[in-house]
Amino acid sequence: MDNTLYVSLSRQMTLRKELDVVANNIANADTAGFKVESLMVANDPVTPPAAPGAAPIQFSFDNGLARDFSQGALRQTGGTLDLGLRGDGFFQVQTANGTRYTRDGRFALDAQGQIVTAAGDPVLSDGGAPLSIDPTKGPPLFGPDGTVTQGKQIAGKIGVVRFASQSALQKDGGGYFENVSNLGSQPAQDTKVEQGMVESSNVNPIAQITRLIEVSRAYEQIANIMDGNSSLYNEAVQRLGKVN
Amino acid sequence: MRALSTAATGMAAQQLNVEVISNNIANMNTIGYKRQRAEFQDLLYQDQEQVGSQSDASGTIVPTGLQIGSGVKAGSIYRITQQGSMTQTSNPLDLAIQGIGYLQVQMPSGETAYTRAGNLSVNNSGQLVTDQGYTVLPAITIPAGATNVVISQSGLVQATLPGQTTPQTLGQFELASFVNEAGLEGLGDNLWQVSGASGPAVVGLPAANGMGTLLQGYTEASNVDAVSEVTSLIAAQRAYEMNSKVVTTADQMLSTTVQEKS
Repeated sequence: MDNTLYVSLSRQMTLRKELDVVANNIANADTAGFKVESLMVANDPVTPPAAPGAAPIQFSFDNGLARDFSQGALRQTGGTLDLGLRGDGFFQVQTANGTRYTRDGRFALDAQGQIVTAAGDPVLSDGGAPLSIDPTKGPPLFGPDGTVTQGKQIAGKIGVVRFASQSALQKDGGGYFENVSNLGSQPAQDTKVEQGMVESSNVNPIAQITRLIEVSRAYEQIANIMDGNSSLYNEAVQRLGKVN
Repeated sequence: MRALSTAATGMAAQQLNVEVISNNIANMNTIGYKRQRAEFQDLLYQDQEQVGSQSDASGTIVPTGLQIGSGVKAGSIYRITQQGSMTQTSNPLDLAIQGIGYLQVQMPSGETAYTRAGNLSVNNSGQLVTDQGYTVLPAITIPAGATNVVISQSGLVQATLPGQTTPQTLGQFELASFVNEAGLEGLGDNLWQVSGASGPAVVGLPAANGMGTLLQGYTEASNVDAVSEVTSLIAAQRAYEMNSKVVTTADQMLSTTVQEKS
């Protein structure tokens, strides 16, 4: 009989976690290059039935986080160093903890003329080295393949890479992804670099708010089941306690 | 309940966004103003199940892992140094800079500040000054009674002095450029100063070595685009509302838990 409570509790725990994920999606609805996430919930097939012949008990548990890497809308900003990616590639960034990957192309120059992210980490060229431009040579122009030209001179080429499996990427905060697999990255030839554009997050606000309502209602529903179960208990105790 | 604090970070970020947008709208008519943009980044993630970890002894690898984010933070407020449009004023002492470069201004503290607002005036000793009365460097004095003040594209100041027929050269403006002009530190009053992020000032003559040109009789309008600011404002307000909806939902779920019968 306790199983009702425990199964309900397992569902409530996944719902709470799901609320956390939805809250993070909504908080980042305006974060450039953010990719929406959803919690994957499964039933636990390994719990055996309580007794032979009894119905199997299936707990609910969270077995992973699905990340939707679909393209976010490109929003025009007019910024010279705002770069949007069209396609499944990533920019490479050199951080203190190693190379990170990002879709957030709101770049700037540092005091040495290097192209850096908002956090100040250098953006890497296709050769894997930081990329510098000389602002006195005129505004830099980025071609669709990432080539940077100033005037008639080519200043370099910004590196855009892709992964065979994007589930190898783990979020690192600050819009960065870390490659935690031993899969290497390859140059992303089909990804276009668009200057003066920023990729918005691909969070669909309507879907997230709907999900929020679903989570909240499901949680209440489970609470009702738990209440019902508790009344059942009370009644059983009262009836069984009566002598006649 | 993490969702509560996550939504709070979202609301704080949108509040900052509205503050930046309102500052842009307030400065829509400020000469030489450059619009700003709040940039947001996601906060750290907590690994509940590491990507790539093994789910059993035979080496099955978890394909996606379970990482839960803790909200959003403001990364920086970036100044978009796009050229503003030119407004004709017909005032001979109004200068607009077309292209890169800043006018240098001597501050009372002795430091040099930089500005794109070229609405200059003459002080009581004939020097060209900004509207706060700070001298523009290099100091150029317009003698009393001089007429037909002409400032060329390359910054050469000429005027006809009383009793003369040919114009005399009074001086030449210089412009300062920076490797990273978005990194200049704002002082207010349209003035900026060098910071560690901007790189040192490179001083040069206008219309040479990539420097911008000067345009007499014009001022540079702010580059704020009213329509895009107002739409950003609406988006920020809606995003704020959505985050507050998350707070309400998290609160409801907590209250459901509290009210459960034991």
